[in-house]
Amino acid sequence: MHKVSIIGAGNVGATAVYYIAEKNLADIVMVDVVAGLPQAKALDYLHAAPMRKYSVHISGTNDYKDIIDSDVVVITAGIPRKPGMDRMDLMKINVGIAQKASRGIAQYAPNAIVIVVSNPLDIIAMVTLKESGFALKKVMGMAGVLDATRFRYFIADELKVWPGDVMAMVLGGHGDSMVPLARFTRVGGIPVDELLDSSTINRLIDRTRSGGGEIVSLLKQGSAFYAPGASVAKMVEAIVKDEKRVVPVSAYLRGEYGYEGIFLGVPVLLGKNGIEKIIQLDLTPDEKQALDQSALGVKKGVEELNTFYPRR
Amino acid sequence: MIGIIGSGNVGANTAFFLAEKGVDDVILYDVMEGMAQGKALDMMEAAPIRGYRTRIIGSKSLEEILDCDIIIITAGAVRKPGMKRDELFLENKKIIDAYALKIKSPNTKVIIVSEPVDLLTSVFVKASILPSNQIIGLGGVLDATRLRFLIASELNVSMENVSAQVVGRHTDDMIILRSYCSVSGISLESFFSLDQVEKLFEKTRQAGSLIVDLAGRASSYYGPSAVVAELAEAICLDTGRLFSVSHVLPGIFGIKDVALSLPCVVNKTGISKVIQPKLSDQEIGLLRKSADLIARTIKEADHA
Repeated sequence: MHKVSIIGAGNVGATAVYYIAEKNLADIVMVDVVAGLPQAKALDYLHAAPMRKYSVHISGTNDYKDIIDSDVVVITAGIPRKPGMDRMDLMKINVGIAQKASRGIAQYAPNAIVIVVSNPLDIIAMVTLKESGFALKKVMGMAGVLDATRFRYFIADELKVWPGDVMAMVLGGHGDSMVPLARFTRVGGIPVDELLDSSTINRLIDRTRSGGGEIVSLLKQGSAFYAPGASVAKMVEAIVKDEKRVVPVSAYLRGEYGYEGIFLGVPVLLGKNGIEKIIQLDLTPDEKQALDQSALGVKKGVEELNTFYPRR
Repeated sequence: MIGIIGSGNVGANTAFFLAEKGVDDVILYDVMEGMAQGKALDMMEAAPIRGYRTRIIGSKSLEEILDCDIIIITAGAVRKPGMKRDELFLENKKIIDAYALKIKSPNTKVIIVSEPVDLLTSVFVKASILPSNQIIGLGGVLDATRLRFLIASELNVSMENVSAQVVGRHTDDMIILRSYCSVSGISLESFFSLDQVEKLFEKTRQAGSLIVDLAGRASSYYGPSAVVAELAEAICLDTGRLFSVSHVLPGIFGIKDVALSLPCVVNKTGISKVIQPKLSDQEIGLLRKSADLIARTIKEADHA
């Protein structure tokens, strides 16, 4: 049985555990700094096992040594931005959390593939890569799968078709500047622009861009966790089952798409070795320009990061 | 309730897949006495292990099936090695004509699996009082499923990531729509040369015959059953799946009264919407030729 560790037992982490358990994908270790919280959630899940019939083992811990020999580690730990909090202050706190997590992973699960979920995603992924010293293909951020699943749902809802029949590709950074590519979005193989007019498609793209924000404003406090948890589980499944899925993930680029030294959402082949290949799409000038814009945002974040990290 | 007429390999496996998916209860029927009851009982005896809650009943009376929400027709002769699907027509037409007169419950959706499917779907609609959007022939979606397998295997990517659309007749002259085939939305040209694509398409055209040749005594049934179960699920659960299925065309591309596969949205009403694909002039020509051939074959059979 494979082993997956989830760092951070908050809503996203715990919901990912739910989907992973229901599919019997791997034994699961939940790690959190709060004493008792991961243990409680793990036990609660085990209480449901006789009814739900999953057979994986689930445990909670406050000690990184329990993630020993994990095949996949997911970092969801981090604090959300509170009212009045400075962006940089938030970044500093979450970078600190990611540093600690990455060191724990490097020490106890040196062969793991790491999926970063904490925000700001493309920055935290960078910190994780540097702190762990892992190979590039083994560290990635979860963003495109989530953005694409939202786009897919909105299209399916508009056309009244099954969401599973919709395929979509969303590139770029995880934020307002994400780049949903209508040209690579299809319903049962049929390009979406043959089924919807361009103003409708643009409306759905805008809704996708603010998809996370829509949930935040409805919830008043807290943010989305069902779709993010499902997206994490999908990526975990692709890795532990070696599915070779073509999905967008935030990957460290060394010249691909013309970018150097940043994490950015691009299509990859996802399998047991992590990012097995970065797939290069032929983009139109407009699409490339949108991606440039998105990359610019990530670069700005990296510059902010560089003002305080790495601290020697 | 889903009724299945014909409890051979396709019928029984469809019941099996429906049970595993928990779609709805199933009644199996076969003209050969005992076969439906035997297979149904065998499947129910596996239920404690497999954990399905759907009931599968074998019936020796056709009457019990006629009011089902969905009726799947798998009855009829099947191909032997070297045989073309069309050679089954005259024999299976009699069977389909008879069922078309008996299935009269106004909300029933009919899924025709018997071959040659486009001819038999046309014949059924002609004889039936049911609206044509409730009568669906298993067609391009099966060919597309095979193509998806071939593309995914060739690229070593997840099959779920591959989409494909095949329209026209469910025969060697099926029309594979290259621009509607993709891997996670990315067109095939990003992965293959034109030559490689053509080879995969040719394999798809021969995929059914290959199984007949390999298996010797049986034609394919796992693929067809899986697709039929998926269709029945789309109707039962009102999911709105986008499938290329055979149905009598309402004048699209100037074709009417004969059944061919085009992409459709399938939900609780049957075929709720037909999507007119972008075809080249050559593809439209081929589609019309197929339609003419079907019309002519039916006319000849009527006068035989």
